[in-house]
Amino acid sequence: MLDAFEILTTSGIVLWRRSYAPVPSSVVNSLVGDVFIEDRRPKDAQGQQQTSYKKDKYTLKWTSAKDLGVVFVAVYQSLLHLSWVDNLLTAVKALFTKDYGIELKKAHVTKLNTQPFDATFDALVRKLDTGSTRRQSEADSEGPIELTPPSSAASASEEAVDEPPPPPIPAPQFKKPAVSRKEQFEGTSTDATPVPTPDTSRPSTPASHILTAKSGPGKASRRSRKAQHTLTSAPASSGDESSAGRNKKTATKAKRRWDADGFAVEGEDEVLDYSAAADSQQEQGEREVDVEDVNASQMGSRTGKGQFVLKDLDDEVDAILASSKQQVKPDSTEGDAGLLGSATSRLTGLFRNVVGGKTLTKQDLIQPLQQMQNHLLEKNVAREAAARLCASVEADLLNQRTANFTSIDSTIRESMSKALTRILTPTSSLDLLRDVTTTISPPNPRPYVISIVGVNGVGKSTNLSKIAYFLLQNQFRVLVVAGDTFRSGAVEQLRVHVRNLSELSRREDVGKIELFEKGYGKDAATVARDAVTYATNTAGTEGNGMLFDVVLIDTAGRRHNDTRLMSSLTKFGQLANPDKIFMVGEALVGTDSVAQARNFAKEFVDTKGKLRNNGVGMDGFIISKCDTVGDMVGTLVSMVHATGIPVVFLGVGQHYGDLRGLNVGWAVDKLMK
Amino acid sequence: MAGSDTPNDWLTWAFSPTISAILVTLVVSLCLPVLIHYYLYRKASAKVLPTVLLIGPSGAGKTTLLTLFANGTPSATHTSQEPQTALCQLPSTTSSHEDRYRSEHDTSSRSQPKFLLVDTPGHGKLRHHALSSLTSPTALKGLVFVVDSAAVSSAAGLTETAEYLHDVLLLLQKRHTQSKTSRDPQAIPVLIAANKQDVFTSLPASLVKSKLEQEIAKARQTRSKGLLDSGIGMEDDGGDDEESNWLGQYGAKEFKFAQMEEHGVEVKVIGGNVRGEGEEKGRVEEWWAWIGENL
Repeated sequence: MLDAFEILTTSGIVLWRRSYAPVPSSVVNSLVGDVFIEDRRPKDAQGQQQTSYKKDKYTLKWTSAKDLGVVFVAVYQSLLHLSWVDNLLTAVKALFTKDYGIELKKAHVTKLNTQPFDATFDALVRKLDTGSTRRQSEADSEGPIELTPPSSAASASEEAVDEPPPPPIPAPQFKKPAVSRKEQFEGTSTDATPVPTPDTSRPSTPASHILTAKSGPGKASRRSRKAQHTLTSAPASSGDESSAGRNKKTATKAKRRWDADGFAVEGEDEVLDYSAAADSQQEQGEREVDVEDVNASQMGSRTGKGQFVLKDLDDEVDAILASSKQQVKPDSTEGDAGLLGSATSRLTGLFRNVVGGKTLTKQDLIQPLQQMQNHLLEKNVAREAAARLCASVEADLLNQRTANFTSIDSTIRESMSKALTRILTPTSSLDLLRDVTTTISPPNPRPYVISIVGVNGVGKSTNLSKIAYFLLQNQFRVLVVAGDTFRSGAVEQLRVHVRNLSELSRREDVGKIELFEKGYGKDAATVARDAVTYATNTAGTEGNGMLFDVVLIDTAGRRHNDTRLMSSLTKFGQLANPDKIFMVGEALVGTDSVAQARNFAKEFVDTKGKLRNNGVGMDGFIISKCDTVGDMVGTLVSMVHATGIPVVFLGVGQHYGDLRGLNVGWAVDKLMK
Repeated sequence: MAGSDTPNDWLTWAFSPTISAILVTLVVSLCLPVLIHYYLYRKASAKVLPTVLLIGPSGAGKTTLLTLFANGTPSATHTSQEPQTALCQLPSTTSSHEDRYRSEHDTSSRSQPKFLLVDTPGHGKLRHHALSSLTSPTALKGLVFVVDSAAVSSAAGLTETAEYLHDVLLLLQKRHTQSKTSRDPQAIPVLIAANKQDVFTSLPASLVKSKLEQEIAKARQTRSKGLLDSGIGMEDDGGDDEESNWLGQYGAKEFKFAQMEEHGVEVKVIGGNVRGEGEEKGRVEEWWAWIGENL
């Protein structure tokens, strides 16, 4: 069963909300933040993008009406599998747009009177709810069905009519009690009497082949007997519950009777509990009232607004669902209206293109978007990233009107700049000096650990020395760790860098730098851990307590598709536990950048298996060799698009001072030039 | 001849000294200018409403504040993705700037001024909406920077808030110091609204002020020492020197909001809460008063 359903605007105001269970507001906030703003949709195993979002123990599904700027969100427990939520979303979107679309289009709307929508929603849920295919635990089932009563704005007769329908609503969810029984049997071995629950279940357990696998020794025979009995019972997905109020089958659960042999007595509906009579009577009453309902609505007598809504709703909702399932055939080329007709239409099309005010259709956008995609590909953006950017621009601009005196091309360019700006802007900008200062200052000081990873030959050691130079200029004490124990000459290279930097720092009288190395052939992770211990060492230091403020760890370059080498990174990440992990990517790399970024990012999991840094893996990219590519800085976009990790530094030369931060406007300018 | 007679007759009558002709002439000569005036000035009479901008980090309560000011009661809200504008009117209990010359006992009826309240998203990726509204030339009369008083008690929340506030104040300072006309652009006062004062862990407004000042001092220090931007060759106005990127008084160790006054930016910190606990209403009267003074 649904936990909550919300309708909110893109500016954040909740227009209408129905909650069946208390859902914390952070769940929807994180949906908006992760999916809509940061565009971080998780992919499942096949690489397909999912249309649902999971957070804590909730699953969220959504749809949006872009022209009105309204988003519809349905929240339910992840344990359930509700297949009717998509239909519900489509139907709610169509009905809400029809009811309130005009009001929403007015300017400055911050509040709507959406009380009448309560009844519509209730009717929709009744109609579409086909139950869940897995039941959640019992504690949940009893509690949260606190249906808000129909709005007080409804007429009195509507109140009377709505009374019988609410009791049946709990019923549909109890169609699949098989799992509950399975849970009980797994837990206890001797207690086979099911706890009587208010939610009624069928006396026989369908689909009990799962049960037989897990049963204890003494129960196999009974279960298998049951299995034979129950194969003829109703199938798991009951399509017959789709219409409101019918086929409730709220039979009470029969109590298990035991005979002398220790086997349950089957097939008898004899119950000692006399409350069953009352239930069945109530059920009879409900059924009769339901029959009355149908008659009354057909005749249209003494009915309030609610009845009419229900009746019209059926036809309308069927039409909506049917149309959403149909493939809408795209309008193929215009019918030939003769030479003159086509010539004039083309002329007016051109005119409209220049003057503006043209509503953009899919047909109009194909050609310019293709050109824009080629333009991006020329700028060295990976094909996957360019395709996704163009798809998002198309989704934005479809059915919008161009502004006055702007052509389609310029509209697309503007929209593309906005999309690029959004991708490249980080959610929270990195202030490295700030972080370092905070970590080394008095309440529990410790050294700040940064490590650099990347494939072979991208410039890790060079950029590491540039960062060391920057930190030295800010009066920090830096320890450089030779974590590359594989490549010949790696340690010597770092030794030369440290010698140069210590000479520079001595001349300017800033900072202190030292090299920590353990030769070749050792395990990089243990070298790193030893280095951090050495830097934290407090023996024999002047005042501060730590020998070094910042530890920079170099690692060996490795191919991203070599699993053995990549897996050693995980161990490295867990042992050294760096504060920041930066991956260096060169600006010259082509479409391989996407795969590189993804493979590196997914290696950095902490001991619990969760990706560090809020689930993205690394803390930033350093894009090196930017001076060699000129305008073609598309690698920035590809790597950010692949992982959602921001670019923090750019390497623009081979000297110690050639390190810059990223200016988003500059990057977008270069890409759109 | 009948055709030419009737216009002839009309004209003769119009120029004749009969009472009816005089009356008609009087009516026409008085009404015609009035009608022309209304026709010409019906478009120009649409005044440009003053605008107040709502800015702040994510989760501070900007959208809730917008709904409270626009509708009288706050609605439930989630993270904003787009800016939203609402038409608000000062409540009758607040006195506005225009009333400063009225005497206390003036009982003439007046309608409270209306203004546009613009809410911007606070998420890191969407801050360009807010920053571009600051630089675009609209009738911006005031800036309300909404702060979550409970979040500033933690280090991470304080850093994020202070960095955003630093960027906003720097933008206002640059707008003032780098204006191209000799006349100063109109100064925009800033209200730092310390929201969520009803939460248990919230700090009082004075403590929020001092914490923000310290944090902004640290932020401007690290900004000045940080790496150069990749876009340094891009700007056409002589390039930024260190002084123009330094907020407040150049070279001063501490930052106080009073230092911003030399750039015409008056900063005030006032506490309040949009939502009251349980059934209580929020306390936003002081914020209304500030808006009233600065409209």
